[in-house]
Amino acid sequence: MSHQPPPSSGTPTTCIEMLQVILDGDATPEQQAQFKAHMEGCMPCYKEYNLEMVIKELLKTKCCGQCAPPELIERIKTQIASNAAS
Amino acid sequence: MKEEVPKQHYSDKQKQQVFDNEFMPHINSMYNFAHRLTFDEDASKDLVQDTYLKAYRFIDSFQQGTNAKAWLFRILKNSFINDYRKKKKEPAKVDYQEVETFYNSEDVDRQITPDLRVEALQDMMGDEISNALNSLDVDFRTVIILCDLEGFKYDEMAKILDIPIGTVRSRLHRARNLLKEKLTEYAKKMGYKNT
Repeated sequence: MSHQPPPSSGTPTTCIEMLQVILDGDATPEQQAQFKAHMEGCMPCYKEYNLEMVIKELLKTKCCGQCAPPELIERIKTQIASNAAS
Repeated sequence: MKEEVPKQHYSDKQKQQVFDNEFMPHINSMYNFAHRLTFDEDASKDLVQDTYLKAYRFIDSFQQGTNAKAWLFRILKNSFINDYRKKKKEPAKVDYQEVETFYNSEDVDRQITPDLRVEALQDMMGDEISNALNSLDVDFRTVIILCDLEGFKYDEMAKILDIPIGTVRSRLHRARNLLKEKLTEYAKKMGYKNT
């Protein structure tokens, strides 16, 4: 894998693009294994992967916690019940 | 979603079952999405309520057992663009011409040399990550929410957003770089001189 910037579409051919596909959750197990093997000998890719994974984890833990207010859930249920009855 | 879904003919009881078992379990994700789009509690409630009422009204277009979450997210995103954003008279789109020009420069794709350190991120205990996400333009913010917060795949995002998969990929790539740029600013403010 080379370090060239990713092409705009198509199969990942560079390690930057492969990393992108892994981060985006769309890599096949083979692609993941290929990238992991590449990372073992490539410090920039290893660092970038770790950094991106920390950001991804932070997003999940810090930005997902909001619950729908109970009165909203009740309001929706009441509206649906009245729509169904009419 | 462009593919033709055969129209269903649910009984009232089946409609209620689909609604309760397939739609309602996603309400927290829907509310979170609405709040990240509008930044306003009342507007989020209206948007989510409107989405669920539309989902019920068009329930015969939903095939039981298919991806209810993606279907609901698509309705919410369309309601946001068509109703909420029009009312607020906000610009409908990011100026992509300007963004493309900027991001076609070599600097932005040179992400392989990270200038932001993991230690700086781990010290961000407050709202920095949330504020950084909120600071992105809505189209970039949306792809991060769909991918990283909600775990949607490229094809699902393409359907939710009505854009080609290639555009999803490039938009995500840009969104991640913009997010890192913002986090780098925060890290510098926190005293990480050599971020």
